[in-house]
Amino acid sequence: MKKMFSVRGVLTLFLIATTLFALWATYYKISVWGFSFKPKKEADVWTIDAHISFMPTGDPIEVSLSTPNIGDEYKLLSEDVVAKGYEVEKDEKNHRIKMLSKARKYQQDVYYRIMIYDNEDVSGKVKEPAPQKVKKPTFDDELQEGMVHEIWALADAKGKGSDAQHIIELLNEKTPAREVDAFLPVKKTQQVMAEKIIYLLATRGISARIVRGVKLSEKKHAAPADLMLEVHEGSKWMVYNLETGAAGLPKNFVIFQRGGVSLLDVAGGVDSQVKFSVVKSVISSFKMAGRRAKYEKSRLFDYTIYNLPSLEQNTLKWLMIFPLGILLVVILRNVVGIQTMGTFTPMLISMSFVKTGFMAGFICFSAIVALGLLIRAALTRLNLLLVPRISAVVIWVIVIMQLLTVFGYQSDLKIIASAAFFPIIITAWIIERASITWEEEGAKNATRQIVNTLIVAVLTYVVICNDYIRHIMFAFNEWNLVILALVMLLGTYTGYRLSELKRFAPLVGEK
Amino acid sequence: MWEYFKIFSNPKKFRERGLLGMNARNYYVISKHNKRSLYPLVDDKVQTKKLANGININTPRMIGVVEHQFEVKNLPQIVAGRSEFVIKPAHGSQGKGVLVIKNYADNVFTTASGKKLGFNEVYQHVSNILSGLYSLGGQYDVALIEELVHFSDAFQEYSYQGIPDVRLIIYKGFPIMSMMRLATKESDGRANLHQGAVGVGLGMRDGKAVRAVSHNMPIAIHPDTGVDLMTLKVPFWREHLLIGSQAYEMTGLGYMGADIVLDKERGPMMLELNARPGLAIQIANGKGLKEAIKRVDKFYPKNLNAEERVDYVLNNAE
Repeated sequence: MKKMFSVRGVLTLFLIATTLFALWATYYKISVWGFSFKPKKEADVWTIDAHISFMPTGDPIEVSLSTPNIGDEYKLLSEDVVAKGYEVEKDEKNHRIKMLSKARKYQQDVYYRIMIYDNEDVSGKVKEPAPQKVKKPTFDDELQEGMVHEIWALADAKGKGSDAQHIIELLNEKTPAREVDAFLPVKKTQQVMAEKIIYLLATRGISARIVRGVKLSEKKHAAPADLMLEVHEGSKWMVYNLETGAAGLPKNFVIFQRGGVSLLDVAGGVDSQVKFSVVKSVISSFKMAGRRAKYEKSRLFDYTIYNLPSLEQNTLKWLMIFPLGILLVVILRNVVGIQTMGTFTPMLISMSFVKTGFMAGFICFSAIVALGLLIRAALTRLNLLLVPRISAVVIWVIVIMQLLTVFGYQSDLKIIASAAFFPIIITAWIIERASITWEEEGAKNATRQIVNTLIVAVLTYVVICNDYIRHIMFAFNEWNLVILALVMLLGTYTGYRLSELKRFAPLVGEK
Repeated sequence: MWEYFKIFSNPKKFRERGLLGMNARNYYVISKHNKRSLYPLVDDKVQTKKLANGININTPRMIGVVEHQFEVKNLPQIVAGRSEFVIKPAHGSQGKGVLVIKNYADNVFTTASGKKLGFNEVYQHVSNILSGLYSLGGQYDVALIEELVHFSDAFQEYSYQGIPDVRLIIYKGFPIMSMMRLATKESDGRANLHQGAVGVGLGMRDGKAVRAVSHNMPIAIHPDTGVDLMTLKVPFWREHLLIGSQAYEMTGLGYMGADIVLDKERGPMMLELNARPGLAIQIANGKGLKEAIKRVDKFYPKNLNAEERVDYVLNNAE
């Protein structure tokens, strides 16, 4: 065993290699294709349409739109520009998209469309370099300075929360204080409110800025951008709701632009505006992965099982769970040391349990085997040769399944109606072997073998019926290679089996 | 809850005793020392018998072989004039499918346990053998009909019906462990430990009982006959060992089990060989096989012939 390349050493290397590969592949699938460990079959996909319209002035046109920096919160699925005859330029660094055209005559409508989907929760705290110290605004006159002081006095009287929250709350009160009323203009748009709050905060040297973006909700059609306030606190930018003062970026808010830069610049046009529409759609997570892969120009995806038609995918999904069941059988036989009827018989039974449901399958299987054994006992008296006899048992099993299914249907017992799912040949062999064991070694041994087989079947069932495990073995099928390595490594396990620890116990003088 | 785990022993204690587990047996011993191509020599009892007879090892005499279904009806001709015989599958294991006929007269077969069978039942049994019911891989088999062994009076008290036999473990031609298997009422005349037969570990130098077990637990007396098992001593011990030792040259298998029965008139006879002998012999002896194997590898001399190996074991075995 002390050779340079022992079998065990090579297999251990293989195990390490497959594990590393599986880890990498899992990481790749999660980060690039957006796979998840959760067996969520479908994901919400948001389509955001930015509709830009303007009147050309007759000069060459340059439209520049700030684009969202899709970070951790969402994953980008696709990005399109619908602008006929325009030349599109993307500025990745500054997150802007430019649409250029020669002079045009009539009203222009161009569209920027992105599809994104939910990735994970974010805290709402965005780390960004701190801005320069805000210059305190100069006050126009004594009156205004006095007003600001009065407003701050009211704001400071509020209890918990940051300065920004106090101000937001104060300015949004349903019946505003006299001082606030005088400070605010009559027409209170979001934009105006935001500017006033920023102004007030600046008087205390707190820098703040407007954040423009889109709130994802299903009923958004041709609406202006939603505004939020970002206030610099400590070393972070904190996002606040302009109306409630609630801190944190809401989960469903996609930021298009923040700070000094403009949301939309149009050169060669007037009366420009941008309106947002949001559409929510539901899409299968594997289909979505394909679209993502296409967006990332990853050809790899075409050669995976996830790009197959769903019928083939379902078949493979079923197959992908087998290796784990096999691993379990290997462990139960070679490490635990349970003797069963046939090596993979228990696994095949548990596969049937998955299709029938556990209780139904268990009861039904027991019924078939019990009835089968009775019939097999009757066949013994007929002195048939082995092959015709086992064939007769097979046909009898089919007859029993038929009767149970019909009877189960008529009497509305779903449990019995699942009889047809069991593998006939396997069931017949179990009956035949149980019957022989019964005659040869007594009822005790026969029962024990059947019980052992059922125990292994149930254990296997518990593992393979789990939705999470099935999803993971399918979505991250590279782990089957690790299982392969493990099974091969178990082939060199020469330690005692658990059953032997019991069997040989009298030898080492224990009670 | 914790109490439950006490039925399991600490594997460390097993290693100290040199116990051989099933995985280690398959991995280190069988797959290393037994060439797959040699298996048919011991899996087919007809072949084993012919090989043994070729080098003058005694076996129960063969009466006939039934190879094909249409020959089954010839059974009366084959056994004509005999009142007792044994029908067994050539590829059987663990005594499965062995039918012992103690008395055959007037078309009635009386088995060892006194059951009376008619022609149809015996035909059915032979048919089952031919269709592979008792054979290792379920492949087609042949039925072997041989003379009944009359076991030595030396064992009369020690066995309840059935034929007691000596199981030897042969490693590289050295008999390294042995036990006698005694049938009980529970084992129904069979000598399989897991069916309730008694296993008696034997000293390698003298063939004297060292320990006896039933269902893995030590016992002192035979559960049915009440005889003190520690008084058991196998006569013709050297001859027993010699049969086992010779089987090494005969088959080329580095690790095997040899089942030997002692006939009243003909002495020790080789019943069958086994390329994958079980591990229960360790319990009957209270000793580990790994320990014994290691000793052979380390200390036993090489290039001895069968006689020399037996002498070496008789003088040097633990």
